[in-house]
Amino acid sequence: MTSTVTPAAATASASAGAGAPRRRRRPRGTWLLLLAPVLAFDAVLFLTPLGKLVAASTHDHAYQRVLKDPLVSRSLLNTFEISALSTLATVVLGYLLAVVIWRRGPLARVILFALVLLPFWTGVLVKNFAWAVLLQDNGLVNTALQGLGVTDAPLALLHDRFAVVLGMVHYLLPYAVFPIFAALAAIDDRLELAARSLGAGEASIFRRIILPLTVPGVSAAGLLVFIISTGFFITPVVLGGPGDMMIANQIDFYARQLTDFAGASALALLLTVIVSVLVAIYQRILRAGGEYEAG
Amino acid sequence: MTTTTTQQTSASAPHEERRGAIELRGVRKMYGNIAAVDDLDLSVEPGEFVTLLGPSGSGKTTTMMMVAGFEELTSGTVLIDGEPVDRLPPKDRNLGVVFQSYALFPHMSAAENVGFPLRMRGVQRGERRGRAEEALARVGLAGLGDRRPRQMSGGQQQRVALARALVFNPAALLLDEPMAALDKRLREQMQDEVKTLQQSLGISVLFVTHDQDEAMSMSDRIVVMRDGRIVQEGAPEDVYAHPRTDWVANFLGDTNLLPCTVLERKDGEAVVDLGAWGVGRVRDRGAKGDAYAVSIRPEHLRFVDADRCENRGSGRVLSSTGLGATIRHRLHVGGQDVVMRELGTGSRATGGLDSEVTVGWSPEEAQLLVLEP
Amino acid sequence: MRPARPRHVSSLIASVPVFVFLVVPTLIVLPVAFTGSRYITFPPQQLSTEAVTGFFRDQAWMSALSASLQAAGVAVVIAVLLGGTAAVALHGRTFPGKAAITGLLLAPMIVPAVVLALAFYQFFISVGMVGTVLPIGLAHAVLAVPYAFLTVRASLAGLNPALVRSASSLGAGAFSVMRFVYLPVIRPGLVAGALFAFSVSIDETVIALFLQSPNATTLPVKMFTDIQYNLTPKIAVSSAMLVTVATLGLLVQVCFTIRRRSVARLLPLTAPEQTG
Repeated sequence: MTSTVTPAAATASASAGAGAPRRRRRPRGTWLLLLAPVLAFDAVLFLTPLGKLVAASTHDHAYQRVLKDPLVSRSLLNTFEISALSTLATVVLGYLLAVVIWRRGPLARVILFALVLLPFWTGVLVKNFAWAVLLQDNGLVNTALQGLGVTDAPLALLHDRFAVVLGMVHYLLPYAVFPIFAALAAIDDRLELAARSLGAGEASIFRRIILPLTVPGVSAAGLLVFIISTGFFITPVVLGGPGDMMIANQIDFYARQLTDFAGASALALLLTVIVSVLVAIYQRILRAGGEYEAG
Repeated sequence: MTTTTTQQTSASAPHEERRGAIELRGVRKMYGNIAAVDDLDLSVEPGEFVTLLGPSGSGKTTTMMMVAGFEELTSGTVLIDGEPVDRLPPKDRNLGVVFQSYALFPHMSAAENVGFPLRMRGVQRGERRGRAEEALARVGLAGLGDRRPRQMSGGQQQRVALARALVFNPAALLLDEPMAALDKRLREQMQDEVKTLQQSLGISVLFVTHDQDEAMSMSDRIVVMRDGRIVQEGAPEDVYAHPRTDWVANFLGDTNLLPCTVLERKDGEAVVDLGAWGVGRVRDRGAKGDAYAVSIRPEHLRFVDADRCENRGSGRVLSSTGLGATIRHRLHVGGQDVVMRELGTGSRATGGLDSEVTVGWSPEEAQLLVLEP
Repeated sequence: MRPARPRHVSSLIASVPVFVFLVVPTLIVLPVAFTGSRYITFPPQQLSTEAVTGFFRDQAWMSALSASLQAAGVAVVIAVLLGGTAAVALHGRTFPGKAAITGLLLAPMIVPAVVLALAFYQFFISVGMVGTVLPIGLAHAVLAVPYAFLTVRASLAGLNPALVRSASSLGAGAFSVMRFVYLPVIRPGLVAGALFAFSVSIDETVIALFLQSPNATTLPVKMFTDIQYNLTPKIAVSSAMLVTVATLGLLVQVCFTIRRRSVARLLPLTAPEQTG
């Protein structure tokens, strides 16, 4: 097989050579050939659609229009409120689960991880459907509440913000458990032994050692969960009421109800920019997170 | 086999007099069917520096972890200050522990690390800071309290760990291979410093290491462990000079082992038949076994005149290597190879390679020991 | 005589309701699928297979199932081929622009689903691809490529690039290197990648919703539409099928984990799937 190196690639790799690590190998033609299909695929089916989206957003003064729309600001506010609330609850519960899994032996860890992973593998509609069944007027939750004498008539649990947050926390929990677990697992076991020998009880060990050492992991988890929250679309429709529309629903509304593609595209780009900024911060936290690792 | 068991028990002894004493009675630790530590009796007297010395897997670290309270005992009892502590969690045992990798809290400064045990004991901030600085100064780190562990060298980190383990006036200090991460030079310096510190504070130390030089240079008493059992204990010079078995003799430095049969033993001396080396007199501690040998350290062999020494053998020089302060000779004497170390830079006694020599030893410096099966 | 060693009982007990919260809603769809009544109740009053047989006789649900499987098939094949080759191509290589290429390959993971949905919607209309399952499959492939790329890359982590060079120096051509050096190593990564791609596609709702047409309505889209009007046992049957698929995926992943003896191996694979 012949190796063809494009002039551009050759000069590019040569120019970076000075600062690059010792093993500096130019990609040979074969490997460029392997890379070409995926790059072509993404160029046509990922970058082009996104490019068209950007182009569409520049028509008809779309940005000025959507930003003046009170429905848009309402949904932005909703998105922030719901996401913040869900993130907070998810991180607290996720921390609890991560700590419990971390404290167990290897076998128990696998079993508990499987419990966390089952909902992770399940699609959002199945989960939302399950919550709808549980929360409906004659559902399990209402039956239980009435049985316990908490209430006489069924409570309207479905189609409100509580149901949305509940459904989102349920969906998001695994995303919080993994990074927090990783942060816990990175702690040198001997730190805990040392603290114990120095007179620390369980509460002090947690508050003074474990918690501060996992702050980077927890921030990363929180940010990741918040990022995912901002894009929620299905859950507000299935479990929420008319007042719980999030930004994704607003984009859908502009596109499919108003057929205002310029407005929808402008909103979509706005959401993408917000998410990208958050992702950049997330990656920075992840990189800084190595600071406390053992070694 | 019997090991020294202290007779005085906690019941009658007032606490203050036994402060710093550590005692293990019949301690056993099983992992499944395997005994990591088996029927161990051990005591550290107040102010004593005792080293658990053994290869990895000998149970020395497990023993220390049981004293610290991190490992449960399968059976037996641990006493600290004369009191049984088996029900006490580590935090209430009042022992200063220094771990192999120091286990400094990475998110705290050196002063916060040292202040941590004080904080856990409810000492107020101002006093805490003062005492932490004081403890840091004592280990030669005055003014470095604001540094994070990551900003300090290995030696400095170790001093912080030491200051942290001492600042709350613990009953005793437990050190788990604390020098393992340091280079040789720094290690020797830290050995001196730790020993000086220990003596000035008069604190008892239980030290764990696999490094026999470290054990020899620091300890009041060495406890040699193998396979979860104590094989010998005593003062460093004593264990070195009078190993009970060939394994101990080999583990603590170089030695020459000459197989022998015992002809007569009494009053701490034995008359042995060494085959080609003839019949000689050696030191005897009364160890019993199926097979015996005589251990003679390389530095205890010397060149002698053929008829002036009672214990001797004759042979040839195989090689001589100058090592700076000493010369190392490999000799073939009485049908086996032996190693001899001679002080000085030029050998006076050999006529070069292949020359005929006679080597001898004094009965005080040759030890009768048991050959392990 | 045992020293007190912390068992952390309190946190374990506190976590039980959270585990229940996590797992039970996912599992209740199974009994609900066997509810006899026309309307859903939980716990079910009686058990029957009426809804299950009804589901498989229902034209609309069957065409949704078929649309889902077709889309997933397209997504799996494309994702495994493109993600796998990309991971092999980038393995052990450093060159300028590598970070940018990796970033591009992973980018579909972080763009919110609704944004992609809108972009795909306008794009496929502009190129005249509407009314079939193919655009949905292609869109799902875009989402799934990063997963296959990551799983194959993870399986390559232990392969020393020097081994590849030595194989080449021993006279192995590019094809032989692929066949005898890479393929055995990446096989588990390919399986896992296919699994992830299938899972992403079969559960994806938002893009499929935007690209739907009477002939191309996937299972989740059908569920999404029906849920808004009525909670019927047939939705539960569909849910139960998806939970079964999820459980199979989970079992494979757990087996991988146990074989690799490292929970950490799970972590790079648990990247965001943004269809909320």
